[in-house]
Amino acid sequence: MSTNHISDDRLNAFVDDQLDASEKSEIFEAMDTDSSISQRACELRQLGELVRHAYDRPPQSERLRKQKARSIHPFGRAAAATLLVGLGATLGWIGHQQPDATTPMQSGNMNAMFLSDDDRAFHSGDLSTVTNENQLKRVIVHLNTSNEAKFEKALATAEQLLSTYADESHGAEIELVANASAVKMLRSGHTPYAQRIRALQEKYFNLTFLACKDAMDHVREMENLDGALEMLPDVEVTPSALEHILNRMNEGWVYLNV
Amino acid sequence: MSVIANLCKHQQFKRTLAEYRSNLYRIAYSWCHNPALADDLVQETMAKALKNSNQLRDPKTLKAWLYRILSNCWRDHFRRSRDTVDIDDVVLVEHDTPDVRHDRQQVIQRVRAAITLLPMGQRQVITLVDLEGCSYIEVAQILEIPIGTVMSRLSRARKALKERLLEAEVHGDSNVCQLRTAT
Repeated sequence: MSTNHISDDRLNAFVDDQLDASEKSEIFEAMDTDSSISQRACELRQLGELVRHAYDRPPQSERLRKQKARSIHPFGRAAAATLLVGLGATLGWIGHQQPDATTPMQSGNMNAMFLSDDDRAFHSGDLSTVTNENQLKRVIVHLNTSNEAKFEKALATAEQLLSTYADESHGAEIELVANASAVKMLRSGHTPYAQRIRALQEKYFNLTFLACKDAMDHVREMENLDGALEMLPDVEVTPSALEHILNRMNEGWVYLNV
Repeated sequence: MSVIANLCKHQQFKRTLAEYRSNLYRIAYSWCHNPALADDLVQETMAKALKNSNQLRDPKTLKAWLYRILSNCWRDHFRRSRDTVDIDDVVLVEHDTPDVRHDRQQVIQRVRAAITLLPMGQRQVITLVDLEGCSYIEVAQILEIPIGTVMSRLSRARKALKERLLEAEVHGDSNVCQLRTAT
């Protein structure tokens, strides 16, 4: 029996499940008598797999991704803030469940969160597990309170991570982002950690401190200041901590709320 | 009360649309192979869908309806940029294919390059069938073409892909090199 017995159109329809039962039976019967038809059907299926594979993860538009992150609607920002506060609370609560947590990395049970490239969903887990299993070595540490114990914890976490990934080739990066009242901890003349922060900046080139401009403006208004707030040397300013965090998570950074 | 009900309905529709976004983007990208343009097309599609949501009579046909809007947006884009060319006959050549570095990436780039060489009409049909699992009838409705045309375009597209991908493998790397040169 010739392979032309089954036309390409019919065989495609068979592979794409577009035939009714009797038509399918005819194809199956033809396959029984002519193995080349099975071969053609297999090739068609293989092509389908290749096409699906090729577009499984299409590249995202860099321009639009950045644009989207920058232009989050005020309601979106509120939602993001709620999300982060909620996540922070959740992670904080989980953290409190850990017995005898001394320093975060010593405890080995610091909960972190990241946006998975596979399903574009947030996943959380133990910091060291998240960073090791997913090969993620860029961590954004979020601080939103001027509580000194928490700031100590944030610094200790950052330093522990940096010493773990001390080798430059690892490509580790840590950012400590302060918003709300935490900007005080990066403010010149107000923070008790100026020297410690300077020492860390000099020791680790891949550690960056950022302050939220929204929060700085708020402080400026509250204190009725004319000029801008004076921050510690080399502290960077980001227009919005929340948007910065969401941008970083979109870029594959691990989020850690202290 | 009806205002609130309408608002709820509108919000629900927006959420439903958002669920289709990544699928729409994937198809748009497979047609134009340009991330920024694909984003624009999806954005335009969603805006039009929202604006004309009252035209969707049967929610079960939402998928086909959305892809038809996307297809029209893509067609409009082409008309704006190339007034005299029939979109169905256009063969786009992708110039910005990045260098491939490992096997998986190589396969992806080869397949995308082969798809790029297909005339647009064939490319639309094969991506709707293979990526979105659309039935032939749905594709015919989306692209507003007869079902026989869907089938013939699909056959021709797969025949071309088979020659460029499967038979290239059988005959060694020389064809693959030609393919890459073409892109």
